[in-house]
Amino acid sequence: MKNWLSCWPGRCPKLTDEQRLRRDNWKALPRAALSMPLDGSRYVVVDVETSGLNLWEDRLISIGAVAVVNGKIDMSDSFYVVLRQASASSKENILVHGIGGSAQAAGMLPTEALLAFLEYLGKSPLVAFHVVFDETMIRRAMRTHLGCSFSHFWLDMAYIMPALHPAGRSHSLDDWIARFGIVNDARHNALADAQVTAQLFQVAQHIAGQKNITDFAGLRDLEKAQRWVSRVA
Amino acid sequence: MSAIHSSQLAFFAAHAPFDRMETEHLSWMLERMKLGYYAQGEVILRPEQGVAECFLIIKQGMVQGETSIEDANAADTWLELAEGECFPLGALLAHRPVASVYRSAGDTFCYELPLADFHTLLDLSAPFRDFCTRRIANLLEHSKQIIQAQYAQSSGELQSLTSPLSALIKRMPVTCTPETTVREVLSRMHDARIGSMIAVDGIGRALGILTLPDVLERIALPQIDLEQPVIGVMTTHLTFLPPHALACEAALNMAKLGFRHVLVVENERLIGLVSEKDLFALQRTGLRQIGQAIRHAKTLAELQQTAADIRRMAHNMMAQGVAAEQLTQFISTFNDQLTARVIELEYLSCNQDMTEICWMALGSEGRVEQTLSTDQDNALIFAVPDGMTPDEVRAHMLPVARRINDALALCGFPLCRGKVMASNPEWCLSLAEWKQKFSDWIRNGTPQALLHASIFFDFRALHGAEHLACELRRWLSNVAGDNTRFLHQMAQNAMSIRPPLGVVRDFVLGREHKLDLKLNGITPFVDAARIFSLACCVSETGTLARLRASAAKLNIHPSEVEAWTSAFLFIQVLRMRHHDEAQGVSCGELDNLIDPESLHELDRRILKEAFRQARKLQARLALEYQL
Repeated sequence: MKNWLSCWPGRCPKLTDEQRLRRDNWKALPRAALSMPLDGSRYVVVDVETSGLNLWEDRLISIGAVAVVNGKIDMSDSFYVVLRQASASSKENILVHGIGGSAQAAGMLPTEALLAFLEYLGKSPLVAFHVVFDETMIRRAMRTHLGCSFSHFWLDMAYIMPALHPAGRSHSLDDWIARFGIVNDARHNALADAQVTAQLFQVAQHIAGQKNITDFAGLRDLEKAQRWVSRVA
Repeated sequence: MSAIHSSQLAFFAAHAPFDRMETEHLSWMLERMKLGYYAQGEVILRPEQGVAECFLIIKQGMVQGETSIEDANAADTWLELAEGECFPLGALLAHRPVASVYRSAGDTFCYELPLADFHTLLDLSAPFRDFCTRRIANLLEHSKQIIQAQYAQSSGELQSLTSPLSALIKRMPVTCTPETTVREVLSRMHDARIGSMIAVDGIGRALGILTLPDVLERIALPQIDLEQPVIGVMTTHLTFLPPHALACEAALNMAKLGFRHVLVVENERLIGLVSEKDLFALQRTGLRQIGQAIRHAKTLAELQQTAADIRRMAHNMMAQGVAAEQLTQFISTFNDQLTARVIELEYLSCNQDMTEICWMALGSEGRVEQTLSTDQDNALIFAVPDGMTPDEVRAHMLPVARRINDALALCGFPLCRGKVMASNPEWCLSLAEWKQKFSDWIRNGTPQALLHASIFFDFRALHGAEHLACELRRWLSNVAGDNTRFLHQMAQNAMSIRPPLGVVRDFVLGREHKLDLKLNGITPFVDAARIFSLACCVSETGTLARLRASAAKLNIHPSEVEAWTSAFLFIQVLRMRHHDEAQGVSCGELDNLIDPESLHELDRRILKEAFRQARKLQARLALEYQL
């Protein structure tokens, strides 16, 4: 209940002047253009680990992200952070992502961690598998710790893949990566999961190119169409 | 900002040469790389792109290299690169465009390092540099070290090979000055009963070495002036090891470079000499003892004992990393001696006059390529004495041959299932009859005839009247070399056995998911070498000797032959290792089937490379005979 209250709008977090400046600098950056071409742009593929699956109560524990620049994953352009937790998550939860109690306590202060993430991200569009989860967790953390509403461009691979590939819908990330032989040696590590999702995104960019989808707007339209299809089907 | 998950590093730790690079250098490399995706059929590199600009490592998937000849179809794929392999090394090192089209064969992800970083990494990391500049040689070496490590663990008697050289040095080596005359050096070597002389300068640095085999080759045969300074006939390209180097390092050095001695040097000064004899003396069964035991054996039981010793020696030598070529030659040499002794004992017991009879080794024994699981393949050739018919000689010889075949079986050489043995009346023939038989095969070219040719044309005199076999070989070279139709048929037949590499996936496996190293691995080399040697009138029977001797006449580049021979030898080593391991487990029959999954990652890669070489060799054969 305490957690839930703490994210109530209006309770403004205390930021230093320097932190506020960094946050506002990020806000002032120009938005990504919808017309930016797929093979001449930077996308950031993200994955998060949390204390559980409840979108309103569970806390953000780690963020992993890799950048896909001009169609290639840039190994030097990646990001990983563990957010400091006041109390460790449950044992069952720790067994999922492997970030133990002391690692959680030794993490970076959430405000600093989120600012670092924003500065890494810039205004590059975000890509994730099942966006609603990652987006909600990140948005709540941003509001709690930075006092800002995080509205950003997202692409959801869970809709884009079925729209591009005849294998169809309702496949999990594991199903998709297995289909393309992508190996994940550390499932449920945010960085490793972001990496395989990024590889999947590379495959998607390739197929999209064959279907004459060449820009970000094209992928967004594709995602919208697929969302509509899955609702009516 | 950069974060790299440890599983990325784990990937590199599983593949050569990255497994030997320092973590610091690996991270340096990883931070500068991009990961690219290539869909099935997508071109990754092509010659038209100009000078190669990227070093690629396959993270996942498969890449094929195709020669840029127009008619290159799918079956002519030269290269198949799998997970963990990198390319295009040659082009990057030479700053030139790639020679082949590299195409993705499936969903492929590659790490990509820019050219400038690649060159920096060459400077930074010694293992990486080593690997790139001596790729195949390095893989083989690495594999050999792993094999050695495995054996060193399994056999306790090898512990002595892990002792330092300083423990093996018995006395100061005998030395001379470089100006000493050849005559004086020879007389000192003779008086002191030593096998080598080392020339040193004023402060004890070794300048050159002269060994007994050199004396024959460089002094006695060319009959040089004995008053000249000895340094002129010495080997001046010396290899040194420090006193703390291990005995097995010295053994490896000797096996690799073919030297019989290793100089031990400390602070540039010679402090000792370790000879091959010193190293092999570390073992229970020395090479010399086995030879003597065979020569002096009086009974079959004694010979059976030495047969077991030969197998044990083979195991030890394999553990010491003695190269496959030498190893098979050792085994063949001892098996020859053993066979000869069996024959002698048999002839003695029945007072057989052996002057006009020759026992011939066929098949792998004829090619001096015996492994531990060699069936008997032998035959007799004889001259017909005046007043006798071939049938009379045969009737007399067959029972003797039968007893010899049986005795050999007792020594561990199983009887040939196809009855290719001297006790079979079909293969106990006079010189004239053999010529008749061979000409029939060459004229007919039936599948049966071709099969026989593949066994019998590798014949070699093993015991008795050698001149008969030599005469047959001379005759065969003339007849077969001229018959292009027959060679064409042999080539066609040889092409029917393909190396087990798929076009897309890696190995093509037979039943039980296994590879037949003999049929699909060794046979393509052996067959091609036989055809080349017949076409070029080369009288050698060994596959490597045949390839080397034919290459010059066929205008094949030596480096290509070198690649073929290393590939052939590697498959031989794998076979022998397989036999050696199997023998430890059961006394049953040895097979040549291996499960590639059971191989070390590195061996699997080299084996693939070896099969690729087999394919190249076959392509060469196809070119030669327009198949």
